[in-house]
Amino acid sequence: MRKLRTFENIILDLSRYWQKKGCLLYYPYNSEVGAGTFNPATFIRVLDNKPWKICYVEICKRPRDGRYAENPLRFQQFYQLQVVMQPAPTNIQRFFLESLECIGFKLKEHEVRFVEGDWDAPTLGAWGLGWEVWLDGLEITQFTYFQQAGGLDLKEIPVELSYGLERIAMLLQGVKSAFDLKWNNTLTWGDVHRQNEIEFSEYNFLAADARLLVSLFNQYEAEAVRLFEKGLILPGYDHTIKCSHIFNVLEARGGISISERAKMIARVRALATQAAQLYKQKMSEQNVLKEGAKQ
Amino acid sequence: MIDFLLEIGFEEFPPSFLKKSANELSGKVVNHLNQQRIFHRSVRTIYTPRRIGVLILGLTRKQKPQVVEIQGPPKKLAFDERNQPTEMLQGFMKANNLKRSQIVVRKIKKGEYVCGKKEVVGANTEDILYEEVPKILKTLEFPKTMIWTKGGTKFPRPIRWIVALLDRRPLKFEFAGVRADRHSMPNQHFSFKPIRLEKPREYINFLRHGGVIVDPNERRKLIVKRIKKAVEKMEGKPLCTNEMIEEINCTTEYPEAVVVEFDEQYLNLPEEVLMTVLKAQGNLIWLKPTSRFVCVFSARKKALQNVKKGYTLVVGSKLYDALFYYKNDSKQGLTRMEANTKRMMWLNGLGSLYDKASRLSDFADFFKKIPGLNLQTLKRAARLCKVDLLSEMIREKDFTSLQGIMGGHYARISGEEEAVASAIKEHYLPKFAGDKMPSTKEGVVLSVIDKIDNVVGAFLSGNRPSGSYDPLAVRRNGYAVVNLINSNSFDITLFNAVDALLKLYKKDIEHEILFEFFTERCSRYLQDKKYRYDEINTVLARWKGDIVDARMRCAALKKMSGKAEFTKLVIGQKRVRNILKNVQGLGKVSTELFKQSAEKKLFKKGMETDGQLKTLFEARDYQKILDLLLAMRPDIDKFFDDVLVMCEDEKLKKNRLALVSLINRIFLCFGDLSRIVIEGEKN
Repeated sequence: MRKLRTFENIILDLSRYWQKKGCLLYYPYNSEVGAGTFNPATFIRVLDNKPWKICYVEICKRPRDGRYAENPLRFQQFYQLQVVMQPAPTNIQRFFLESLECIGFKLKEHEVRFVEGDWDAPTLGAWGLGWEVWLDGLEITQFTYFQQAGGLDLKEIPVELSYGLERIAMLLQGVKSAFDLKWNNTLTWGDVHRQNEIEFSEYNFLAADARLLVSLFNQYEAEAVRLFEKGLILPGYDHTIKCSHIFNVLEARGGISISERAKMIARVRALATQAAQLYKQKMSEQNVLKEGAKQ
Repeated sequence: MIDFLLEIGFEEFPPSFLKKSANELSGKVVNHLNQQRIFHRSVRTIYTPRRIGVLILGLTRKQKPQVVEIQGPPKKLAFDERNQPTEMLQGFMKANNLKRSQIVVRKIKKGEYVCGKKEVVGANTEDILYEEVPKILKTLEFPKTMIWTKGGTKFPRPIRWIVALLDRRPLKFEFAGVRADRHSMPNQHFSFKPIRLEKPREYINFLRHGGVIVDPNERRKLIVKRIKKAVEKMEGKPLCTNEMIEEINCTTEYPEAVVVEFDEQYLNLPEEVLMTVLKAQGNLIWLKPTSRFVCVFSARKKALQNVKKGYTLVVGSKLYDALFYYKNDSKQGLTRMEANTKRMMWLNGLGSLYDKASRLSDFADFFKKIPGLNLQTLKRAARLCKVDLLSEMIREKDFTSLQGIMGGHYARISGEEEAVASAIKEHYLPKFAGDKMPSTKEGVVLSVIDKIDNVVGAFLSGNRPSGSYDPLAVRRNGYAVVNLINSNSFDITLFNAVDALLKLYKKDIEHEILFEFFTERCSRYLQDKKYRYDEINTVLARWKGDIVDARMRCAALKKMSGKAEFTKLVIGQKRVRNILKNVQGLGKVSTELFKQSAEKKLFKKGMETDGQLKTLFEARDYQKILDLLLAMRPDIDKFFDDVLVMCEDEKLKKNRLALVSLINRIFLCFGDLSRIVIEGEKN
């Protein structure tokens, strides 16, 4: 019998694989994000147009996807393994497929399908082209060549791979529910997360105080703007991320109209775009200074 | 004879324009060969999700030689009296390396000139292809492209290899940072090892061994065969269209098929929901009416059990979600959803969805005279047609396409009449040109009402289309309105409908821009119905928004088109238009001022015709109307032959112009015939 791959070992194996490909091993961001892309290690770094290789686990929160721990494949919090390589190596698709082999999928015994999926993060002013990668029909990874971030065209095109770790583990362990995944040899994913899912589902859908959230959104937005004005771009971006998460909770809570929703997305996007532009500006000014110092 | 293989290898291409792109590439290569006088025996267009290409067999090694003629000096300067070459001709021959025997005389427009006939040896096919293929690749057009390398080449997905093999020689040109060579790539489920090709003829078989059926026709047949084989001896009928098969063909390199089952409880879902789930999951084919479907996949046969397991899980989970939404929505009921529409804004500044529904219901009254229409049903359906936008199902992006359809189901569940439910279900139709039309009268009218409201609402909220900017698909909506009204022969004057709706909005807007918009839409529609552009212009010149009427007038004109009599009539109308250009302030025609019999006759004929026309217009007998107008021609011609309109006497001139204008008005009741384009006329 094949050795059972625990959730934690899958993460370790993938991390080691990408470490060998030259990626820096990094960690999740310390504030709620909807995807690994929000992490400054991706969003800010791809703006540098410089070589950058990184791999990290991200804890992703998608309030609308909570199902009170009742749906085997839907939860309001899950884990992504994020890989960014800038510039994208020419054999990146093969690297990716071999990473699947390294965690135990024999390509000869599965179907890996690259399904056209244009990726667009409206709140980040970012978009790219690529695929949803389906393994035996199950979406396990988003594979994207970024074209723009923060509304800025990228020159060194980065590739972003976002592995959906639960789904991958479910296929590997042959279980029908993420809650049954073996995290290690004694505990399951459900043991770790069930209560969290139930309580947060109730919070996101019913208990969240919409008024408070709207007020927090406004305050964080104002704070981000204030910080940008002071030239504190990374703290400003940090508050942008907070706005984005609050918006997600509000959307789950219901009661945002179509036009309000569009407006809030536009507001977060404006912040993210501003962060990106200011960052670019600051970096080029610093480069000028550095050049000057050398001379 | 030699063979040529061109294969562009990339990461998975968007299926929606794969075939088109492959055809464009092979078409352009073949065209180029023809232009360059390179003979070839056969062409095969290649495409799979990871490559497009062309395999050309039996090429000539060189271009066909060509005789070209170089023009020299005029004959009289080229030869002296004794018919010997002059210095000038000798210079020409020397410069072009011509012999005396290659000199001929050609007569051209300017006179007789000498020409040098010269045979140009054909260039090598190899050199031509090496030069031209990269240029051709640059000219390919795609709806959406990306960049992935520093060079900034744009292509739908990154190009990773190129095979350009002319017989045994690779043409090592460079494109998008990739050097063309003789190595293709296999199906990634089989191997990552490049496939080395010695010559093009090995391509199809070698790739087959690598898990790639490169010929799309062969692959399509195999897909159908695999599906048939998989469902052999099974209950149910595979529900699949040719488009589905083609899409599968564009996402598969090596088709295998497997039957997968789902839980029977999901058969309680509306069929449309089930089909939507299966379609979104990669064109899975339902075995109606069973709880089974066929999945065509693109890997090794060994993968079959895993694929089956995977799809069981993923389809099960999607159906679980769908049933979850469906049950919640059914429990919630339409009344709750309707109440929620008050909180859902429609377009900027135009109130909520609830307001829209109320407006549609009021607007319905305008259509009450349509025969066989149940106004109560229509008004009820109008009230409820948008409430499903508040359902959990439609708010989920996987199911948004079911808007209307779910509304119909939920209406039925909430105890609405069947006719109300059908109207709700159908009111988004037609969604695109050539789509299904609503089947019930109330469905048709609700669709018309909703779409007119969409157009007017877009104009009022600053979303008027211009150029390629049309975010709310206003043009499509306008076109559908015209199409629906005409196809159902509704006696509706569109402009009056627009005015009635504007009143409900209580907003100030120049209605002319809306009239202009609908006139343009009607023109486009009639063009699609194969009426001539000038005939349509004739009819729409003074249009009031009656679509059926415009179509009937176009039909009558079409029958006249090309008849000599009619052409003369049109010429006459053009004359009239020119005469009346810039003429203003004409009074009534005064019969006392008639000096010539032609004037009297024309006036009499005009009055007579005018009297007869009234009843004919009421009966919409446009054929007869045109005949009557045609019958006026002799009198008109006679008038213009005998009478000088622009005479010295100011009084007479004015009276004659008034008569011309009167006749013109009679014609204009039908349309502006001066807009008909006569063959050979510069307009």
